[in-house]
Amino acid sequence: MISPSGEVAMSNSDAYPDDEIRIGVFICHCGGNISDVVDVKRVADEIGSMPDVVRVSGVFPVDAPPTAGTESSIERAVVLSETEMFLCSDPGQARIEKRIKEYNLNRVIVAACSPTLHEMTFRRACARAGLNPYLFQHVNIREQVSWVIEDKEAATQKASRLIRAAVDRARYLEPLDDRKIPIHDAALVIGGGVAGLKCSLDLAQRGIDVTLIEKSDVLGGRMLELGTVFPTDEDARELVGALVKGVQENPKITVILNADLKDSTGSIGDFNTTVVVKKDGGEEDVEVHSGVIVIAVGLDVYEPRDGEYYYGKSPAVIGLLDLQKMLRDNGKLEVNGKPVKSVAFLHCVGSRQWEDVHEPQADGKINDYCSRYCCTAILHSAVEIKERFPDVEVYDFHEDIRTYSRGHEEIYTRSGELKVKFIRFDPHRPPMVQKDRKGEAALTVKCRDRLTFGEDLEVPVDLVVLGTGLVAKDMTTLIDLYRCSRGADRFLLEAHPKLRPVELAAFGLFLAGSVQGPMDITETTAAAAAAASKAAALVSQGIIELDPFIAKVNEDLCTGCKTCLIVCPYDAIQRDDEKEIAVVNEALCTGCGTCVAVCPSNAIQQFGFNDDMVVTEILALLGVETNSRAGVEAEEAIAAV
Amino acid sequence: MTQEVATQTEQVVPDHWEPKIIGFLCYWCSYTGADGAGTARMKYAPNVDIIKLMCSGRIDPELITTAFANGADGVLVAGCHIGDCHYMEGNHKTMARMPLLRKILDELGIEPERFRHEWISAAEGAKFAQVVTEVSESVRKLGPLNWPQMLKDRGVGHGMDLKPWGE
Repeated sequence: MISPSGEVAMSNSDAYPDDEIRIGVFICHCGGNISDVVDVKRVADEIGSMPDVVRVSGVFPVDAPPTAGTESSIERAVVLSETEMFLCSDPGQARIEKRIKEYNLNRVIVAACSPTLHEMTFRRACARAGLNPYLFQHVNIREQVSWVIEDKEAATQKASRLIRAAVDRARYLEPLDDRKIPIHDAALVIGGGVAGLKCSLDLAQRGIDVTLIEKSDVLGGRMLELGTVFPTDEDARELVGALVKGVQENPKITVILNADLKDSTGSIGDFNTTVVVKKDGGEEDVEVHSGVIVIAVGLDVYEPRDGEYYYGKSPAVIGLLDLQKMLRDNGKLEVNGKPVKSVAFLHCVGSRQWEDVHEPQADGKINDYCSRYCCTAILHSAVEIKERFPDVEVYDFHEDIRTYSRGHEEIYTRSGELKVKFIRFDPHRPPMVQKDRKGEAALTVKCRDRLTFGEDLEVPVDLVVLGTGLVAKDMTTLIDLYRCSRGADRFLLEAHPKLRPVELAAFGLFLAGSVQGPMDITETTAAAAAAASKAAALVSQGIIELDPFIAKVNEDLCTGCKTCLIVCPYDAIQRDDEKEIAVVNEALCTGCGTCVAVCPSNAIQQFGFNDDMVVTEILALLGVETNSRAGVEAEEAIAAV
Repeated sequence: MTQEVATQTEQVVPDHWEPKIIGFLCYWCSYTGADGAGTARMKYAPNVDIIKLMCSGRIDPELITTAFANGADGVLVAGCHIGDCHYMEGNHKTMARMPLLRKILDELGIEPERFRHEWISAAEGAKFAQVVTEVSESVRKLGPLNWPQMLKDRGVGHGMDLKPWGE
């Protein structure tokens, strides 16, 4: 390619035949971020002396930006300047594109910042120049070299070593295509509570066919159990009733009641879910075909242990939901027909537990999280009692008060105005509820009050309301079918709390509402709307593109031993029993490469990270030439052991 | 018997010798953590050369023995903390493999200090910098490994005159 005299043929594929590997290596100064520490000129010279490398530098004088005709000779291609320049800039990218065409480059390496920042930038530049973007290799010599190594000589050597390894590795790069997955234009929503209803409506409004499945025989979920809800004092059943009506009247939505998940196959764009529907004493399987699935199964309310705060031992100890029912249905505040004159609310029952105070739950863990809705819900109920029954004394036993949302703090303030009495307990010494021995009331709440600096209080009350927290449902089938991750709190875990807040890690699966963690109704509907919006965005694309770094089985080498099936976290590998080989489902594979590490026959490889590439990288970093004597001898020695 | 011990203990450390360490990092946590160390301009030893893989579950123990067999003086493996894996449970496999590999390496005469396995999150740039410096220092103290030569000297690989370690 380069004659010793430095003469060059003009750019075309006759002078640079397609079957030769020609690697363009571009080294970025990053405006001194790299070049102040790494001697980029020396590195370029060292790399330039490697075979297969067309010597090209990505740095050029600021005052002489690349223009047609200024770089007609290949020796000129090695234009090195200490002037600041950025390869990621438009002229920098233009230079790469130009060089690709000029020298018919078929591999491009950029040594610059972290691939996290600009790998895509340069891949796109390659694609614009007609080169497959996966024939590009990024080397990180800023975050992992010039910014962290003080010694300039060591940094220069390391940069050179890393680029050398990339050059050797690049020989094994192959052109790849993004996976194109068609998305079926329909959604399955699991759960007919407020989240599932809201999500279904939003999806249907975007023209997407929705199947909404609900385990019970009625739509509405937990909201059917509530009275008035904060912060607007609206009737919960009316609110959710409006949603139910909207869903039932929408021709785009098919509702299936009494439905249980049975099985699910397929992956993003093409899910096939089998639902068991109870009907007329019998059961019937229904198939649902969808491109996306939204999980909106909600949560459970914490059920206090027998005897916890005297719960179960006295009818005067009830949960928040029981109080809601009492206020809503009876219109009276009474226990066993006796009017209640005083009420105590207890916060954090089943939430924010401590290992040294509380017994663990069935899975051995305590509920150490905050249930978020209960502070406001308790104060809202306290205000309602005070407003409807002004003579009733209300006591509020709390560890903290967290009224964080819009309109919630006002409820706290209002409860103070109505003379609700606040008592703050130490979480390590929660209040004790027992029978009132003096006979003044049904029960006594004993507590050391931190607001009065440790005063021991005994408060006789007629009713104790436990501010029961929220817990995750038993979701065994769901988790098995969709390989969902759970947080330490047992709720389903989103792929990323900030970047992918309503998606599961596996593609095409979305979380709507409190299946993801304790939420109040406001938060639940917001989350459901977000999930609908993300799911709709995916469906409306019609076809999505996924990166090509997936696993592939070499059918000749595969013995069908199933080891890869066991380790795959996504169940993306099946065994073709006829051919007796493993087969990778391209839509399910996420490209972790775990199967590659376990295959005893090296029959399964990962595009972009195959054994040839990784081993070559190792050898090059160690200064061993590929297939050199030393390497072979060592391998023989290991094999003999 | 004494011959082999002599070969190992009286090894001459060449002038300007620098430990060669290969670091296998998962992309989502540890590699990003390493970038974080860079962004924060933390300074650490230059001896660990990083190979990026998508998941620590991709790290076939054979890649590690290949590194040792070809002149690496140390190996660092880093992945997401348990529970943080981008691929849900790829690092569970790493967790199972690495202690076993450590035992095998020990049997094959590689000091445990030459092989380091850590969980480093995307936010733990400082931990990454510290681990790199520590592993570089501990390998530096041990000197060059030259594993192929050691195996040869000890008769491993020839079967016939295999001798117990330490003799």
